[in-house]
Amino acid sequence: MIPQSAFRNPKFERECKMSNEIWVFAEQRDGKVRKVAFELLSACAEFSKKTGQEVSAILLGSGLQEAVKSLTPSVDKIYCVDDPALTSYTSDAYLMNIAPMVKEHQPSILLGGATSTGKDLFPRLAMHLQTGYTPDCTGLTVGEDGRLVAKRPLFGGKIFAEMIFSEAKPQMATVRNNTFIVNPNLSKSAKLISVSPKTDPSPPKKKIIGLEKASGARLDITEADIVVAAGRGIKGPQHFKLMEDLAEVLNASVGTTRAVVDEGWRDVKDQIGKSGKNISAKLYMAFGISGAIHHVLGIGTCKTVVAVDTDPNALIFNYADYAIVGDLFQIIPALTEELKRVLAADR
Amino acid sequence: MGFGHSKFGFVSDFDIRISDLLEAKMDIFVLVKQVPDPEAIVKVKSDTELDIENKYFTSFFDEIGVEAGLKLKEKFGGKVTVLTVDNRRVDALRRGISMGADEAIQITDPALEGSDQFTIARVLASYLKEKPCDLILAGRQAMDDDAGIVGPAVAELLGIPHVNAVVGLDVEDPKKEVKVTREVENGKEVLSCTLPALFTCQKGLNTPRIPQVMNVMKAMKAQIKKVDLAALGLSPAEVGLSSAKVKVQKYLPPPKRPPVKVIKEDFPDNVKTLVKLLKEEAKVI
Repeated sequence: MIPQSAFRNPKFERECKMSNEIWVFAEQRDGKVRKVAFELLSACAEFSKKTGQEVSAILLGSGLQEAVKSLTPSVDKIYCVDDPALTSYTSDAYLMNIAPMVKEHQPSILLGGATSTGKDLFPRLAMHLQTGYTPDCTGLTVGEDGRLVAKRPLFGGKIFAEMIFSEAKPQMATVRNNTFIVNPNLSKSAKLISVSPKTDPSPPKKKIIGLEKASGARLDITEADIVVAAGRGIKGPQHFKLMEDLAEVLNASVGTTRAVVDEGWRDVKDQIGKSGKNISAKLYMAFGISGAIHHVLGIGTCKTVVAVDTDPNALIFNYADYAIVGDLFQIIPALTEELKRVLAADR
Repeated sequence: MGFGHSKFGFVSDFDIRISDLLEAKMDIFVLVKQVPDPEAIVKVKSDTELDIENKYFTSFFDEIGVEAGLKLKEKFGGKVTVLTVDNRRVDALRRGISMGADEAIQITDPALEGSDQFTIARVLASYLKEKPCDLILAGRQAMDDDAGIVGPAVAELLGIPHVNAVVGLDVEDPKKEVKVTREVENGKEVLSCTLPALFTCQKGLNTPRIPQVMNVMKAMKAQIKKVDLAALGLSPAEVGLSSAKVKVQKYLPPPKRPPVKVIKEDFPDNVKTLVKLLKEEAKVI
């Protein structure tokens, strides 16, 4: 066992309180701050009421005026490194700029989204800073003493663990999209601190040479509020048009199962479940999906789950909030039309 | 040749072995782990203990790493070594050997019990820093802790670049930059990267080969080289629970879902009811 002293050290608690800042890595893409950063800033605004700390955002990139503007109401301070060399993310350049800032200001907590960038940067940064890091969290709490408790799924979601940190600072975590709700009523007025960029004079070990954008304008399934998915029950890649139409009405993204990806009907980037992605959508709708364990583990943190399948004994119904036993080829077009009608009436 | 020499760290134009000029053979290490099978039952035993059904397999993403290593070896020649830190299970090493890996290393020491991912990374880096190495491959994440920490942390300790969630790897000449494709939200990013580097492998990079029965049998008898902490120059005080930067305060079962509401009306009324419930009860549309 770890001596309790290692994790309950009065000196550390004093230090956590003394450090007067909680940091959020405000990840941006094409100059636009991602929603998960605002979710985290909203959560930190609540934490700071308890701890009395300031909430700061760290923002890296190039041409960040819009990003700064969007962050200003949500945060007390923005540390901003605006440099053409940071236009696109690489772990090396980001780490070189973030690590000295952390060492200088010693925030007690550093949070980021569990995105492709967050999951790439945070483990390496944590190793560099010799501090603790919990990835892909689905819940966070902060005590009055400034100590972070991070909840995260293990074994693909069969178990959850509440993690605590040793004395090292900052306590680092990446958090899944949609774990916290954006508070639109924050009315802070952030102080902007421009930090001069650090660059490596030696040639870069890696650089981005291209970006292949996926076809369509839909969000990644990990980022979307609503995800609609079809399994093998959809019988062939040509029928995914039904899903696209439904997604269009709901402004949703289209996911799928391992079986469908293994058939080659859809790209692996859309695969939900253990060997694919875990999603935390507000609404998840499953059509023709039996509900194998490796799939349902990936939807464990979705808020509302709808399942439609012809088999009344399908396992997916055990994980759903609403269920219809029926034929997706009949249900989906009717559902698309009904949603169109109802949502149009709202507007 | 180790990390302190030509291939790692301070590169000097003059510090190149003659053999490096003559051939493009690759020294490849793959970090592997034996983890509970996705079907294995895992339950909370106490606040800090789990009951894990004894059903293990080689983490799927690690197999993708082994396959990627073998493909490069087939192209350029060289050696694929599988490497694990585990006091109990060596099956992932045997799986790697049966697929075609040349050598298997088990880092094992009683003091390692309870180590977190950062400590495991330090142990692996201590081993790797002394070895000739062009490429280190690992899975995107191990399918037990789902953390994805060890790969990037090893790269940080060795001072080499890493690329996460690689779905494409194109090596034309191991002495030059390689083309790596990684998955990002709604797209794929293509990078050029110098070697040595560490890549974590994502589904889509390849389909791991199924080993032949003969090779599985051979692998059962294959020599596995054991390495302990002393051999790595690490002391027990640097590893184990006491070195951990994070620890479990409490394990919890997954949150229970409320019972399902089955909409039993006939079509198309069931669809109308569903939309109504989503709007008025769940308030999600």
